[in-house]
Amino acid sequence: MLENTLKKLATADPKKMITYPLIVFLVALLILVIHFPTLGTDLKGGVVITIHGGNADAKDVESLLKAENFEVTVREIKSITGDTRVEVRASTDVNVQRIIELIKSKYPDATISQTQFGPSLSRTAQEQSLKAISLAFLGMAVVVFLFFRVPVPSLTVIFSALSDMVIALALMSIFGLELTQATIAALLMLIGYSVDSNILLTTKLLRRKEDTVEEAYFSAVSTGFTMSTTTLGALASLWAISQAEVIDMIAAVLIFGLLADFMNTWILNAGVLRWYIQRGEKK
Amino acid sequence: MNLKKLLLNGRVLLLILVIVGSILTIIAQGITYGLDISGGVEITVQLEKPVDQSTMEEVRISLENRLNTLGVKDITLEPWGDQIIKIRVANVTEEEANSIIDTINRQGVFYAEFNGVIFATGADIKRVDQVSYEPREGAWIVPFSISKEAAEKFAQLALGKVSYPVDIFLDPPVNSTLIVSQEIYTLMNSNEFQFVPDAKPLPQRLKEAFNIDVVPYTNQSVEEIAKLAQGKEKVILVGVNGELESTLKNLGIKVEKREPRAGEAADEFIRRILGLYGPYRLQEGLTTGEPHTELAISIGGSKEDIAAMGQAQVVSVVLRSGSLPVKVFVEGVNYIPPTLGEQFRKQVVQAGIVALLVVGLIVYLHYRKARIAIPVVLTSLSEVIAILGVAALIRWNLDLPSIAGIIAAIGTGVDQQIVITDELLGGRKKEKITKRSGILKRMGRAFFVIWASATTTIVAMSFLFKFFVGGLRGFAFTTILGVLIGILITRPAYAEIAKVLLSEER
Repeated sequence: MLENTLKKLATADPKKMITYPLIVFLVALLILVIHFPTLGTDLKGGVVITIHGGNADAKDVESLLKAENFEVTVREIKSITGDTRVEVRASTDVNVQRIIELIKSKYPDATISQTQFGPSLSRTAQEQSLKAISLAFLGMAVVVFLFFRVPVPSLTVIFSALSDMVIALALMSIFGLELTQATIAALLMLIGYSVDSNILLTTKLLRRKEDTVEEAYFSAVSTGFTMSTTTLGALASLWAISQAEVIDMIAAVLIFGLLADFMNTWILNAGVLRWYIQRGEKK
Repeated sequence: MNLKKLLLNGRVLLLILVIVGSILTIIAQGITYGLDISGGVEITVQLEKPVDQSTMEEVRISLENRLNTLGVKDITLEPWGDQIIKIRVANVTEEEANSIIDTINRQGVFYAEFNGVIFATGADIKRVDQVSYEPREGAWIVPFSISKEAAEKFAQLALGKVSYPVDIFLDPPVNSTLIVSQEIYTLMNSNEFQFVPDAKPLPQRLKEAFNIDVVPYTNQSVEEIAKLAQGKEKVILVGVNGELESTLKNLGIKVEKREPRAGEAADEFIRRILGLYGPYRLQEGLTTGEPHTELAISIGGSKEDIAAMGQAQVVSVVLRSGSLPVKVFVEGVNYIPPTLGEQFRKQVVQAGIVALLVVGLIVYLHYRKARIAIPVVLTSLSEVIAILGVAALIRWNLDLPSIAGIIAAIGTGVDQQIVITDELLGGRKKEKITKRSGILKRMGRAFFVIWASATTTIVAMSFLFKFFVGGLRGFAFTTILGVLIGILITRPAYAEIAKVLLSEER
């Protein structure tokens, strides 16, 4: 069945192939305009106290803290292994030690971790992230141009990397993942993954000598499919087994991006390249 | 089988040497784990302003000395850039972590004041001795010495003023207006802070020494308060509720609000907002007009009185803190209980093993050949070993983001091995008999893809490495390391192995 779908793709009209990924890209942009992922504590500033185990319950923790006039938001996070943790968030000016004392007296068996980010530290982190993302993107664009030296294929590769990141961000917003330093690192990693598959496709199609376009596309997509499934498999096991938040978030964002990349490489970029080759042949 | 030939191939040999070297390094050096795995606290301390390297070093050493007096083991202080110091303490309990944070927060600008006159600042504190118990006085004492100038100034001021209050301050809100609730105002003017009727009350001392106006809140209009704040740095609302804060802010006045913490007594609250330690009662021996450079602060209590001893220790830290050249404050805290970190580490190791197996399984399902799946998994495993080897060699702190980076690098690694495999297999399907030139061309194409994607990943990640102060440098570091090891060592070796294994097929 998969093979048939791929064959259909290989013979589809290039213009049609380009349309759908572009629509997805625009929808993703729209989602981001309406609801950009919320900034995590490390970028916004604030305090997070996490209660692991000890049978803590979000509602009880909330009433316990509200009774002492602490302004907090409390939520419960369930992992697929069945463990729950309770997360208490507050602004930086609260008395963290008092909150922890209260929680400890109620749940003596719980393990408590805490993270605090002051306003100037989070501001620095924001600036650094913005700088890192824009420079990494520019750097990627330059490298891609240097490797191909042809405008249309290079721009398509760059655009699909951008689209991967935008779609991953939109999925983050839908699934309620926060934009943190960890997820930003994952978004940057997507640049690498995306260029990987796109360069594979572009080289196969443009440098092919012995095969037809369809054959080259088919061989590239089968390689690409193996690549994506192995990476997805590795990331999914990471996400499922680990309970550390940093790892879960990095894995989730990479999975989102890889799914987006599958579409952007094998439909969008392939469409553009086939149109580009057809036009070249006509001339 | 061409096993012998394969083992003697330069690229394969290099891979084997690297793996053996890495394993030996890991055994000899051991792997250092980051705090999020070993458990502990990471505190980000920010300096008030950017400083040069020598000042940074001074701050670092003096913070280190002070933290060491807390008796906590394994503290590392690492300056990042010109304004941040990262303090990492492994394996601490929460109480220890809190006392470290308190101590850092207590550093600052020191003043000693008597009857409305500042007689000593941090520079005048020459030495602070160990806190000790004095049985004759029934008190814990903190002996210290001050400069000759400060001693002379103090002697004149203190002449004949037995039992007057002596105040020491750390970071008082200099040049500000305090709008305080009636209750707080009464307490500030009470005997608690004055000791003898002839002494100046606390608000008056604050006014004369620091230009701090203390005004009781009696429903004054916003305009009246704005007038009081003229020429002052800021207005601090102490225990005053209502909309005063926002309306004053709208007038462009800098306003801060202080509320008592849950369970905090009113007098503690006053001391906290003023940065006041004491006041201490002036002993008769110091009121003769004779200058004394050797002084002591005593805190009454029995030898078993832990609270009194704790207070004495705080005073000793406060006295010492005057020597910090620039103000510092805690900007970030990340506390991970040791048991939790251990759990994370186990999960990550499990996840890594499962990930490798899953990759092997998918590769096997795709090619239906164990002789492809097994080398792919083994190559990835050797990549992990090589990354860990380098990390052990340079004693990199392996934290969770670093481990995520390793797995991300393995992800691209497997991708590239598949590109190589497919190029090798693709040639065979069509031509049946492989020509040497065909293989070379196909390998060239595979390595073009590999180099292009490796370059982009390294470029993207090096910006992350360069600009992030936080723990995510670890992610960037291991990713770059993994990609480099991949393109230079493991990928070429895998290509050689695959060539031999796949040509044996026929």
